[in-house]
Amino acid sequence: MWIDLAITMVKIIFILSITVGFFAPILTWVERKQSAIMQDRIGANRADIMGFTALGLFHIMADGLKMFTKEDFIPQGANKALHTLSPIVALIPAIATFAVVPFGGQYTLWGKEVSMVISDLDVGILFVFAISSIATYGYVVAGWSSNNNWSLLGAMRTASQMISYEVAMGLTIIGVLMVFGSMQLTEIGAAQETGYWGFILQPFGFLMFFTAAIAENKRVPFDAPEAESELVAGYFTEYSGLKFGMFFMAEFIEMVTIGAIMTILFFGAWHIPFLTTADLLSMFDFLGDDFSNLVVMFLHIGVFFGKVTFFIFVQMIIRWTLPRFRYDQIMKLGWKVLLPASLLNVVGTGIWILFF
Amino acid sequence: MGYYVDRNVKMTWWERSYIPEILRGMMITSRHFFRNLFGFVPFFLGKKKDREIFTVYYPEETMQFPIAYRGRPVLALNEDNLPNCVACGLCEIACPAYCIDIIPGENSGKQNKVERYPVKFSIDYAICIFCGFCEEACPEEAIFMSDQYDITMLDRKKMKYEMDQLLVPVADLKDRMDFCRKMYGKWNY
Repeated sequence: MWIDLAITMVKIIFILSITVGFFAPILTWVERKQSAIMQDRIGANRADIMGFTALGLFHIMADGLKMFTKEDFIPQGANKALHTLSPIVALIPAIATFAVVPFGGQYTLWGKEVSMVISDLDVGILFVFAISSIATYGYVVAGWSSNNNWSLLGAMRTASQMISYEVAMGLTIIGVLMVFGSMQLTEIGAAQETGYWGFILQPFGFLMFFTAAIAENKRVPFDAPEAESELVAGYFTEYSGLKFGMFFMAEFIEMVTIGAIMTILFFGAWHIPFLTTADLLSMFDFLGDDFSNLVVMFLHIGVFFGKVTFFIFVQMIIRWTLPRFRYDQIMKLGWKVLLPASLLNVVGTGIWILFF
Repeated sequence: MGYYVDRNVKMTWWERSYIPEILRGMMITSRHFFRNLFGFVPFFLGKKKDREIFTVYYPEETMQFPIAYRGRPVLALNEDNLPNCVACGLCEIACPAYCIDIIPGENSGKQNKVERYPVKFSIDYAICIFCGFCEEACPEEAIFMSDQYDITMLDRKKMKYEMDQLLVPVADLKDRMDFCRKMYGKWNY
Protein backbone atom coordinates (compact mmCIF):
# COMPACT_ATOMS: atom_id res chain seq x y z
CA MET A 1 0.00 0.00 0.00
CA TRP A 2 2.78 2.42 0.93
CA ILE A 3 4.67 1.55 -2.22
CA ASP A 4 1.57 2.37 -4.34
CA LEU A 5 1.25 5.71 -2.58
CA ALA A 6 4.92 6.45 -3.19
CA ILE A 7 4.63 5.57 -6.89
CA THR A 8 1.57 7.82 -7.25
CA MET A 9 3.36 10.66 -5.50
CA VAL A 10 6.32 10.30 -7.83
CA LYS A 11 3.98 10.41 -10.83
CA ILE A 12 2.18 13.50 -9.53
CA ILE A 13 5.47 15.28 -8.89
CA PHE A 14 6.69 14.29 -12.35
CA ILE A 15 3.57 15.64 -14.08
CA LEU A 16 3.60 18.86 -12.07
CA SER A 17 7.25 19.47 -12.73
CA ILE A 18 6.87 18.80 -16.44
CA THR A 19 3.79 21.01 -16.92
CA VAL A 20 4.07 23.82 -14.36
CA GLY A 21 7.82 23.54 -13.97
CA PHE A 22 8.97 23.00 -17.52
CA PHE A 23 6.38 23.58 -20.26
CA ALA A 24 4.62 26.65 -18.83
CA PRO A 25 7.76 28.78 -18.34
CA ILE A 26 9.58 27.54 -21.40
CA LEU A 27 6.58 28.23 -23.64
CA THR A 28 6.61 31.93 -22.74
CA TRP A 29 10.11 32.01 -24.19
CA VAL A 30 9.28 29.73 -27.13
CA GLU A 31 6.32 31.86 -28.15
CA ARG A 32 8.41 35.03 -28.27
CA LYS A 33 11.42 33.47 -29.89
CA GLN A 34 9.56 31.33 -32.43
CA SER A 35 7.35 34.18 -33.55
CA ALA A 36 10.43 36.38 -33.89
CA ILE A 37 12.34 33.88 -36.00
CA MET A 38 9.24 33.27 -38.10
CA GLN A 39 8.89 36.98 -38.82
CA ASP A 40 12.59 37.55 -39.61
CA ARG A 41 13.24 39.23 -36.28
CA ILE A 42 15.61 38.30 -33.45
CA GLY A 43 13.38 38.13 -30.40
CA ALA A 44 14.05 38.25 -26.70
CA ASN A 45 17.80 38.33 -26.04
CA ARG A 46 18.49 41.19 -23.66
CA ALA A 47 18.20 39.72 -20.16
CA ASP A 48 21.66 38.59 -19.17
CA ILE A 49 23.62 37.33 -16.20
CA MET A 50 27.21 38.58 -16.30
CA GLY A 51 26.89 39.32 -20.01
CA PHE A 52 25.71 35.80 -20.79
CA THR A 53 22.27 35.73 -22.43
CA ALA A 54 21.65 32.02 -23.24
CA LEU A 55 19.47 32.85 -26.26
CA GLY A 56 17.19 34.94 -24.07
CA LEU A 57 16.31 32.10 -21.70
CA PHE A 58 16.88 34.39 -18.70
CA HIS A 59 13.80 36.31 -19.79
CA ILE A 60 11.79 33.54 -18.11
CA MET A 61 13.41 34.35 -14.76
CA ALA A 62 13.10 38.07 -15.40
CA ASP A 63 9.39 37.71 -16.19
CA GLY A 64 8.81 35.57 -13.11
CA LEU A 65 10.61 38.05 -10.88
CA LYS A 66 8.64 40.91 -12.40
CA MET A 67 5.32 39.17 -11.82
CA PHE A 68 6.20 38.37 -8.20
CA THR A 69 7.21 41.90 -7.33
CA LYS A 70 4.56 43.78 -9.28
CA GLU A 71 1.70 45.54 -7.52
CA ASP A 72 -1.38 43.35 -7.24
CA PHE A 73 -3.99 45.82 -8.37
CA ILE A 74 -7.72 45.39 -7.72
CA PRO A 75 -9.79 48.09 -9.44
CA GLN A 76 -12.30 50.21 -7.58
CA GLY A 77 -15.76 48.70 -7.66
CA ALA A 78 -14.49 45.23 -8.39
CA ASN A 79 -15.71 42.24 -6.45
CA LYS A 80 -12.56 41.55 -4.45
CA ALA A 81 -13.25 37.95 -3.50
CA LEU A 82 -14.24 36.81 -7.01
CA HIS A 83 -11.52 38.90 -8.60
CA THR A 84 -8.97 37.00 -6.50
CA LEU A 85 -10.64 33.63 -6.92
CA SER A 86 -11.08 33.53 -10.69
CA PRO A 87 -7.42 33.08 -11.76
CA ILE A 88 -7.24 30.09 -9.42
CA VAL A 89 -10.44 28.66 -10.90
CA ALA A 90 -8.94 29.11 -14.36
CA LEU A 91 -5.57 27.56 -13.52
CA ILE A 92 -6.48 24.54 -11.37
CA PRO A 93 -8.60 22.67 -14.01
CA ALA A 94 -5.82 23.13 -16.56
CA ILE A 95 -3.44 21.26 -14.26
CA ALA A 96 -6.06 18.81 -12.97
CA THR A 97 -6.82 17.37 -16.42
CA PHE A 98 -3.39 15.76 -16.36
CA ALA A 99 -4.62 13.37 -13.66
CA VAL A 100 -6.08 11.06 -16.30
CA VAL A 101 -3.61 11.69 -19.12
CA PRO A 102 -1.43 8.61 -19.63
CA PHE A 103 2.14 9.39 -20.61
CA GLY A 104 3.25 5.79 -21.02
CA GLY A 105 1.98 2.22 -21.01
CA GLN A 106 2.12 -0.49 -18.36
CA TYR A 107 5.46 -1.91 -17.27
CA THR A 108 6.53 -4.67 -14.92
CA LEU A 109 9.29 -3.29 -12.72
CA TRP A 110 10.71 -5.62 -10.07
CA GLY A 111 7.51 -7.64 -9.85
CA LYS A 112 5.26 -4.60 -9.70
CA GLU A 113 2.81 -3.46 -12.36
CA VAL A 114 3.40 0.25 -12.91
CA SER A 115 0.99 2.21 -15.09
CA MET A 116 2.12 5.58 -16.35
CA VAL A 117 -1.06 7.42 -15.43
CA ILE A 118 -1.97 9.02 -12.12
CA SER A 119 -5.60 7.93 -12.08
CA ASP A 120 -6.85 5.43 -14.66
CA LEU A 121 -10.51 6.41 -14.82
CA ASP A 122 -12.98 4.44 -16.96
CA VAL A 123 -14.46 7.70 -18.22
CA GLY A 124 -11.07 9.33 -18.80
CA ILE A 125 -11.93 11.51 -21.78
CA LEU A 126 -15.17 12.69 -20.20
CA PHE A 127 -13.26 13.67 -17.08
CA VAL A 128 -10.96 15.81 -19.21
CA PHE A 129 -13.91 17.62 -20.82
CA ALA A 130 -15.78 17.99 -17.54
CA ILE A 131 -12.81 19.47 -15.69
CA SER A 132 -11.65 21.73 -18.48
CA SER A 133 -15.12 23.24 -18.88
CA ILE A 134 -14.97 24.36 -15.23
CA ALA A 135 -12.20 26.74 -16.32
CA THR A 136 -14.85 28.66 -18.30
CA TYR A 137 -16.26 29.87 -14.97
CA GLY A 138 -12.85 31.26 -14.11
CA TYR A 139 -12.72 33.32 -17.28
CA VAL A 140 -16.33 34.51 -17.12
CA VAL A 141 -16.14 35.46 -13.45
CA ALA A 142 -12.80 37.19 -14.06
CA GLY A 143 -14.36 39.38 -16.73
CA TRP A 144 -17.49 40.08 -14.75
CA SER A 145 -15.85 40.86 -11.40
CA SER A 146 -13.32 43.33 -12.87
CA ASN A 147 -15.92 46.11 -13.22
CA ASN A 148 -14.60 46.97 -16.67
CA ASN A 149 -16.51 47.11 -19.94
CA TRP A 150 -13.79 45.47 -21.99
CA SER A 151 -13.49 42.66 -19.48
CA LEU A 152 -17.22 42.08 -19.47
CA LEU A 153 -17.34 41.94 -23.27
CA GLY A 154 -14.44 39.51 -23.23
CA ALA A 155 -16.21 37.37 -20.65
CA MET A 156 -19.41 37.27 -22.74
CA ARG A 157 -17.45 36.24 -25.79
CA THR A 158 -15.61 33.61 -23.75
CA ALA A 159 -18.86 32.13 -22.51
CA SER A 160 -20.50 31.92 -25.92
CA GLN A 161 -17.39 30.64 -27.68
CA MET A 162 -16.56 28.00 -25.07
CA ILE A 163 -20.13 26.69 -24.97
CA SER A 164 -20.40 26.56 -28.76
CA TYR A 165 -17.14 24.74 -29.27
CA GLU A 166 -17.55 22.37 -26.33
CA VAL A 167 -20.48 20.80 -28.20
CA ALA A 168 -18.50 20.38 -31.41
CA MET A 169 -15.46 19.12 -29.53
CA GLY A 170 -17.48 16.48 -27.68
CA LEU A 171 -19.08 15.27 -30.89
CA THR A 172 -15.81 15.00 -32.82
CA ILE A 173 -14.46 12.71 -30.12
CA ILE A 174 -17.35 10.25 -30.49
CA GLY A 175 -15.98 8.92 -33.76
CA VAL A 176 -12.72 8.01 -32.04
CA LEU A 177 -14.55 6.42 -29.13
CA MET A 178 -16.59 4.33 -31.58
CA VAL A 179 -13.50 3.17 -33.44
CA PHE A 180 -11.56 2.16 -30.34
CA GLY A 181 -14.58 1.11 -28.31
CA SER A 182 -13.47 2.67 -25.05
CA MET A 183 -13.44 5.92 -23.14
CA GLN A 184 -10.43 5.00 -21.07
CA LEU A 185 -7.46 6.99 -22.32
CA THR A 186 -5.00 4.20 -21.48
CA GLU A 187 -7.02 1.71 -23.54
CA ILE A 188 -7.32 4.11 -26.47
CA GLY A 189 -3.57 4.61 -26.31
CA ALA A 190 -2.86 0.88 -26.09
CA ALA A 191 -5.22 0.15 -29.02
CA GLN A 192 -3.00 2.17 -31.38
CA GLU A 193 0.05 0.00 -30.82
CA THR A 194 -0.23 -1.74 -34.20
CA GLY A 195 0.22 1.43 -36.23
CA TYR A 196 -3.45 2.18 -37.00
CA TRP A 197 -3.33 5.58 -35.40
CA GLY A 198 -6.40 7.67 -34.79
CA PHE A 199 -5.78 10.16 -37.56
CA ILE A 200 -5.68 7.36 -40.14
CA LEU A 201 -9.02 5.98 -38.95
CA GLN A 202 -10.56 9.41 -38.25
CA PRO A 203 -8.95 12.05 -40.49
CA PHE A 204 -11.93 14.45 -40.43
CA GLY A 205 -12.40 13.87 -36.74
CA PHE A 206 -8.79 14.89 -36.20
CA LEU A 207 -9.09 18.13 -38.17
CA MET A 208 -12.33 19.12 -36.47
CA PHE A 209 -11.03 18.24 -33.03
CA PHE A 210 -7.89 20.29 -33.62
CA THR A 211 -9.98 23.30 -34.71
CA ALA A 212 -12.35 23.01 -31.77
CA ALA A 213 -9.49 22.51 -29.32
CA ILE A 214 -7.71 25.67 -30.47
CA ALA A 215 -11.01 27.51 -30.15
CA GLU A 216 -11.41 26.13 -26.62
CA ASN A 217 -7.97 27.42 -25.73
CA LYS A 218 -8.92 30.92 -26.99
CA ARG A 219 -5.76 31.35 -29.03
CA VAL A 220 -5.47 33.11 -32.38
CA PRO A 221 -7.39 32.56 -34.88
CA PHE A 222 -10.12 32.19 -32.22
CA ASP A 223 -8.89 34.81 -29.74
CA ALA A 224 -12.02 37.00 -29.83
CA PRO A 225 -12.32 36.87 -25.97
CA GLU A 226 -8.96 38.57 -25.47
CA ALA A 227 -8.64 40.37 -28.80
CA GLU A 228 -5.92 42.95 -28.17
CA SER A 229 -6.97 45.27 -30.96
CA GLU A 230 -10.63 45.30 -29.90
CA LEU A 231 -10.86 44.64 -26.14
CA VAL A 232 -7.45 45.69 -24.73
CA ALA A 233 -6.88 42.24 -23.21
CA GLY A 234 -10.42 40.93 -22.82
CA TYR A 235 -11.28 39.23 -19.56
CA PHE A 236 -7.88 39.77 -17.90
CA THR A 237 -7.55 43.48 -18.65
CA GLU A 238 -7.67 44.39 -14.95
CA TYR A 239 -5.23 41.75 -13.76
CA SER A 240 -1.63 42.37 -12.87
CA GLY A 241 1.23 40.60 -11.18
CA LEU A 242 0.95 36.95 -10.36
CA LYS A 243 -2.79 36.75 -11.07
CA PHE A 244 -2.10 37.76 -14.65
CA GLY A 245 0.68 35.20 -14.65
CA MET A 246 -1.77 32.52 -13.57
CA PHE A 247 -4.06 33.26 -16.53
CA PHE A 248 -1.05 33.09 -18.79
CA MET A 249 0.13 29.84 -17.25
CA ALA A 250 -3.36 28.36 -17.62
CA GLU A 251 -3.28 29.15 -21.33
CA PHE A 252 0.09 27.51 -21.83
CA ILE A 253 -0.78 24.44 -19.76
CA GLU A 254 -3.98 24.09 -21.79
CA MET A 255 -1.82 24.06 -24.89
CA VAL A 256 0.10 21.14 -23.40
CA THR A 257 -3.17 19.43 -22.49
CA ILE A 258 -4.49 19.78 -26.03
CA GLY A 259 -1.23 18.42 -27.37
CA ALA A 260 -1.41 15.47 -24.98
CA ILE A 261 -5.06 14.64 -25.70
CA MET A 262 -4.44 14.89 -29.43
CA THR A 263 -1.42 12.63 -29.16
CA ILE A 264 -3.37 10.02 -27.25
CA LEU A 265 -6.50 10.08 -29.38
CA PHE A 266 -5.05 10.56 -32.85
CA PHE A 267 -1.28 10.10 -32.92
CA GLY A 268 -0.56 6.78 -31.33
CA ALA A 269 -0.02 7.99 -27.75
CA TRP A 270 3.37 6.76 -26.52
CA HIS A 271 3.98 4.28 -29.35
CA ILE A 272 6.74 4.45 -31.91
CA PRO A 273 5.29 3.63 -35.37
CA PHE A 274 5.70 -0.05 -36.38
CA LEU A 275 7.46 -0.92 -33.13
CA THR A 276 5.23 -2.64 -30.59
CA THR A 277 6.15 -2.78 -26.92
CA ALA A 278 7.04 -6.49 -27.29
CA ASP A 279 9.46 -5.62 -30.12
CA LEU A 280 11.13 -2.99 -27.99
CA LEU A 281 11.36 -5.34 -25.01
CA SER A 282 13.06 -8.00 -27.11
CA MET A 283 15.38 -5.33 -28.51
CA PHE A 284 16.61 -4.43 -24.99
CA ASP A 285 16.54 -8.08 -23.84
CA PHE A 286 20.26 -8.14 -23.03
CA LEU A 287 19.70 -5.74 -20.11
CA GLY A 288 17.63 -8.21 -18.14
CA ASP A 289 13.90 -8.22 -17.56
CA ASP A 290 13.55 -5.26 -15.17
CA PHE A 291 16.05 -2.93 -16.79
CA SER A 292 14.68 -3.51 -20.30
CA ASN A 293 11.24 -2.56 -18.95
CA LEU A 294 12.75 0.55 -17.42
CA VAL A 295 14.48 1.57 -20.65
CA VAL A 296 11.28 1.03 -22.66
CA MET A 297 9.37 3.07 -20.09
CA PHE A 298 11.69 6.05 -20.41
CA LEU A 299 11.68 5.68 -24.20
CA HIS A 300 7.87 5.74 -24.27
CA ILE A 301 7.69 8.76 -21.99
CA GLY A 302 10.23 10.54 -24.20
CA VAL A 303 8.29 9.66 -27.36
CA PHE A 304 5.04 10.85 -25.81
CA PHE A 305 6.42 14.22 -24.77
CA GLY A 306 8.18 14.53 -28.11
CA LYS A 307 4.84 14.22 -29.86
CA VAL A 308 3.28 16.70 -27.44
CA THR A 309 6.09 19.15 -28.20
CA PHE A 310 5.44 18.72 -31.91
CA PHE A 311 1.77 19.59 -31.45
CA ILE A 312 2.66 22.62 -29.36
CA PHE A 313 4.95 23.69 -32.20
CA VAL A 314 2.09 23.29 -34.70
CA GLN A 315 -0.23 25.30 -32.47
CA MET A 316 2.39 28.05 -32.26
CA ILE A 317 2.75 28.12 -36.04
CA ILE A 318 -1.01 28.39 -36.45
CA ARG A 319 -1.13 31.15 -33.84
CA TRP A 320 1.47 33.24 -35.68
CA THR A 321 0.16 32.51 -39.18
CA LEU A 322 -3.58 33.11 -39.20
CA PRO A 323 -5.46 36.34 -38.55
CA ARG A 324 -8.31 36.51 -36.05
CA PHE A 325 -11.78 35.38 -37.10
CA ARG A 326 -14.60 37.85 -36.78
CA TYR A 327 -17.05 37.03 -33.99
CA ASP A 328 -19.86 36.01 -36.34
CA GLN A 329 -17.45 33.87 -38.32
CA ILE A 330 -16.47 32.02 -35.16
CA MET A 331 -20.10 31.31 -34.35
CA LYS A 332 -20.84 30.31 -37.93
CA LEU A 333 -17.90 27.91 -38.00
CA GLY A 334 -18.89 26.41 -34.66
CA TRP A 335 -22.61 25.89 -35.21
CA LYS A 336 -23.03 25.70 -38.99
CA VAL A 337 -19.89 23.84 -40.02
CA LEU A 338 -18.32 21.89 -37.15
CA LEU A 339 -21.51 20.68 -35.52
CA PRO A 340 -23.16 19.17 -38.64
CA ALA A 341 -19.83 17.91 -39.91
CA SER A 342 -19.06 16.14 -36.65
CA LEU A 343 -22.55 14.60 -36.61
CA LEU A 344 -22.00 13.38 -40.18
CA ASN A 345 -18.66 12.02 -39.05
CA VAL A 346 -20.38 10.04 -36.29
CA VAL A 347 -22.95 8.64 -38.75
CA GLY A 348 -20.26 7.80 -41.30
CA THR A 349 -18.12 6.06 -38.70
CA GLY A 350 -21.15 4.07 -37.56
CA ILE A 351 -21.89 2.91 -41.13
CA TRP A 352 -18.23 2.05 -41.65
CA ILE A 353 -18.10 0.00 -38.43
CA LEU A 354 -21.38 -1.73 -39.31
CA PHE A 355 -20.38 -2.90 -42.78
CA PHE A 356 -16.61 -3.49 -42.56
CA MET B 1 -9.83 58.95 -57.89
CA GLY B 2 -12.54 56.52 -56.97
CA TYR B 3 -11.46 53.06 -55.96
CA TYR B 4 -14.03 50.30 -55.81
CA VAL B 5 -13.42 47.32 -53.58
CA ASP B 6 -15.26 44.26 -54.77
CA ARG B 7 -16.43 42.64 -51.56
CA ASN B 8 -18.40 39.92 -53.28
CA VAL B 9 -15.41 37.97 -54.54
CA LYS B 10 -16.47 34.52 -55.61
CA MET B 11 -14.09 32.07 -54.01
CA THR B 12 -13.48 28.71 -55.57
CA TRP B 13 -14.50 25.57 -53.75
CA TRP B 14 -10.83 24.91 -53.03
CA GLU B 15 -10.46 28.28 -51.28
CA ARG B 16 -13.74 27.93 -49.43
CA SER B 17 -12.66 24.69 -47.80
CA TYR B 18 -10.04 26.72 -45.81
CA ILE B 19 -7.72 23.82 -45.03
CA PRO B 20 -5.45 23.98 -48.13
CA GLU B 21 -5.09 27.74 -47.82
CA ILE B 22 -4.29 27.46 -44.09
CA LEU B 23 -1.68 24.82 -44.90
CA ARG B 24 -0.22 27.14 -47.54
CA GLY B 25 0.09 29.95 -45.01
CA MET B 26 1.67 27.60 -42.50
CA MET B 27 4.14 26.43 -45.14
CA ILE B 28 5.26 30.03 -45.71
CA THR B 29 5.75 30.79 -42.01
CA SER B 30 7.48 27.47 -41.35
CA ARG B 31 9.76 28.04 -44.32
CA HIS B 32 10.83 31.38 -42.85
CA PHE B 33 11.22 29.76 -39.44
CA PHE B 34 13.46 26.93 -40.57
CA ARG B 35 15.44 29.07 -42.96
CA ASN B 36 16.24 31.53 -40.20
CA LEU B 37 16.77 28.80 -37.61
CA PHE B 38 19.28 26.87 -39.71
CA GLY B 39 20.36 29.89 -41.71
CA PHE B 40 23.66 30.12 -39.90
CA VAL B 41 24.92 26.83 -41.34
CA PRO B 42 25.27 27.94 -44.99
CA PHE B 43 26.38 31.30 -43.67
CA PHE B 44 29.42 29.73 -41.99
CA LEU B 45 30.19 27.77 -45.15
CA GLY B 46 30.66 31.08 -46.96
CA LYS B 47 27.31 31.17 -48.66
CA LYS B 48 25.35 34.38 -48.57
CA LYS B 49 22.16 34.16 -46.57
CA ASP B 50 18.93 34.23 -48.59
CA ARG B 51 17.38 36.81 -46.39
CA GLU B 52 19.12 38.68 -43.64
CA ILE B 53 17.46 39.56 -40.39
CA PHE B 54 17.34 43.32 -40.61
CA THR B 55 17.32 44.03 -36.89
CA VAL B 56 20.12 46.31 -35.64
CA TYR B 57 21.32 45.75 -32.08
CA TYR B 58 20.89 49.42 -31.29
CA PRO B 59 23.24 50.56 -28.53
CA GLU B 60 26.04 48.25 -29.67
CA GLU B 61 25.54 48.74 -33.40
CA THR B 62 24.30 51.84 -35.13
CA MET B 63 23.01 52.32 -38.62
CA GLN B 64 25.05 54.04 -41.35
CA PHE B 65 22.86 56.90 -42.43
CA PRO B 66 22.86 58.41 -45.91
CA ILE B 67 24.73 61.71 -46.18
CA ALA B 68 21.51 63.67 -46.61
CA TYR B 69 20.44 62.66 -43.08
CA ARG B 70 19.97 65.60 -40.71
CA GLY B 71 21.24 64.80 -37.25
CA ARG B 72 22.28 67.33 -34.61
CA PRO B 73 23.87 70.54 -35.96
CA VAL B 74 27.57 70.97 -35.10
CA LEU B 75 30.14 73.73 -35.60
CA ALA B 76 33.10 73.22 -37.92
CA LEU B 77 36.60 73.63 -36.52
CA ASN B 78 39.00 74.57 -39.29
CA GLU B 79 42.63 73.53 -39.86
CA ASP B 80 43.95 76.40 -37.72
CA ASN B 81 41.98 75.01 -34.76
CA LEU B 82 39.60 77.98 -34.87
CA PRO B 83 35.85 77.92 -35.53
CA ASN B 84 34.78 78.92 -39.02
CA CYS B 85 31.98 80.94 -37.48
CA VAL B 86 32.08 84.73 -37.85
CA ALA B 87 29.10 85.39 -35.58
CA CYS B 88 27.01 86.98 -38.33
CA GLY B 89 23.81 85.74 -36.68
CA LEU B 90 22.17 84.45 -39.86
CA CYS B 91 21.60 80.98 -38.42
CA GLU B 92 20.12 82.55 -35.30
CA ILE B 93 17.63 84.43 -37.50
CA ALA B 94 16.95 81.45 -39.76
CA CYS B 95 16.25 79.14 -36.86
CA PRO B 96 12.46 78.60 -36.64
CA ALA B 97 12.68 77.22 -33.09
CA TYR B 98 15.04 79.88 -31.70
CA CYS B 99 17.39 77.32 -30.28
CA ILE B 100 20.64 79.00 -31.36
CA ASP B 101 22.10 81.67 -29.11
CA ILE B 102 25.14 83.69 -30.21
CA ILE B 103 27.02 86.43 -28.35
CA PRO B 104 29.38 88.05 -30.89
CA GLY B 105 32.65 89.79 -30.04
CA GLU B 106 35.02 92.10 -31.90
CA ASN B 107 38.19 90.45 -33.08
CA SER B 108 41.33 91.73 -31.37
CA GLY B 109 43.51 89.97 -33.93
CA LYS B 110 44.12 86.59 -32.38
CA GLN B 111 40.68 84.95 -32.28
CA ASN B 112 39.98 84.89 -35.99
CA LYS B 113 41.06 86.20 -39.36
CA VAL B 114 37.99 88.39 -39.79
CA GLU B 115 36.37 91.16 -37.78
CA ARG B 116 33.95 89.24 -35.56
CA TYR B 117 34.05 85.99 -33.66
CA PRO B 118 31.51 84.18 -31.42
CA VAL B 119 32.23 84.77 -27.75
CA LYS B 120 29.46 82.35 -26.89
CA PHE B 121 27.61 79.96 -29.18
CA SER B 122 25.04 77.55 -27.81
CA ILE B 123 22.44 75.26 -29.33
CA ASP B 124 19.66 73.86 -27.15
CA TYR B 125 18.93 70.40 -28.53
CA ALA B 126 15.80 70.17 -26.41
CA ILE B 127 14.36 72.91 -28.64
CA CYS B 128 16.09 72.17 -31.95
CA ILE B 129 13.83 70.68 -34.61
CA PHE B 130 16.63 69.41 -36.88
CA CYS B 131 15.33 71.34 -39.90
CA GLY B 132 18.74 72.23 -41.31
CA PHE B 133 17.90 75.91 -41.98
CA CYS B 134 20.99 77.05 -40.04
CA GLU B 135 23.22 75.05 -42.33
CA GLU B 136 21.48 76.51 -45.36
CA ALA B 137 21.75 80.06 -44.06
CA CYS B 138 25.42 79.90 -43.10
CA PRO B 139 27.63 81.85 -45.55
CA GLU B 140 30.91 80.67 -44.01
CA GLU B 141 30.44 76.86 -43.99
CA ALA B 142 30.62 76.95 -40.22
CA ILE B 143 27.56 74.97 -39.12
CA PHE B 144 26.64 71.50 -40.41
CA MET B 145 24.15 68.77 -39.69
CA SER B 146 25.93 65.67 -38.42
CA ASP B 147 24.60 62.11 -38.40
CA GLN B 148 24.25 61.89 -34.61
CA TYR B 149 20.66 61.60 -33.46
CA ASP B 150 20.78 60.00 -30.01
CA ILE B 151 21.00 63.04 -27.75
CA THR B 152 19.57 61.60 -24.55
CA MET B 153 20.18 62.64 -20.98
CA LEU B 154 18.36 62.77 -17.68
CA ASP B 155 18.60 66.54 -17.20
CA ARG B 156 16.98 68.85 -19.72
CA LYS B 157 19.36 71.69 -18.87
CA LYS B 158 22.31 69.62 -19.98
CA MET B 159 20.88 69.50 -23.50
CA LYS B 160 22.03 73.05 -24.07
CA TYR B 161 25.44 72.52 -25.66
CA GLU B 162 28.09 75.24 -25.42
CA MET B 163 30.67 76.01 -28.10
CA ASP B 164 33.42 73.65 -26.86
CA GLN B 165 30.92 70.76 -27.02
CA LEU B 166 29.70 71.76 -30.47
CA LEU B 167 33.03 72.02 -32.26
CA VAL B 168 33.91 69.17 -34.60
CA PRO B 169 37.08 69.06 -36.76
CA VAL B 170 36.30 69.99 -40.33
CA ALA B 171 37.90 66.79 -41.60
CA ASP B 172 35.04 64.77 -40.09
CA LEU B 173 32.46 66.88 -41.91
CA LYS B 174 33.99 66.64 -45.35
CA ASP B 175 31.26 64.47 -46.92
CA ARG B 176 28.48 66.65 -45.60
CA MET B 177 30.34 69.76 -46.79
CA ASP B 178 30.58 68.38 -50.31
CA PHE B 179 26.92 67.47 -50.22
CA CYS B 180 25.93 70.97 -49.11
CA ARG B 181 28.06 72.64 -51.78
CA LYS B 182 26.41 70.47 -54.40
CA MET B 183 22.85 70.90 -53.17
CA TYR B 184 22.85 74.60 -52.28
CA GLY B 185 25.06 75.46 -55.25
CA LYS B 186 22.38 74.01 -57.48
CA TRP B 187 19.79 76.49 -56.26
CA ASN B 188 21.93 79.62 -56.94
CA TYR B 189 21.21 81.86 -54.01
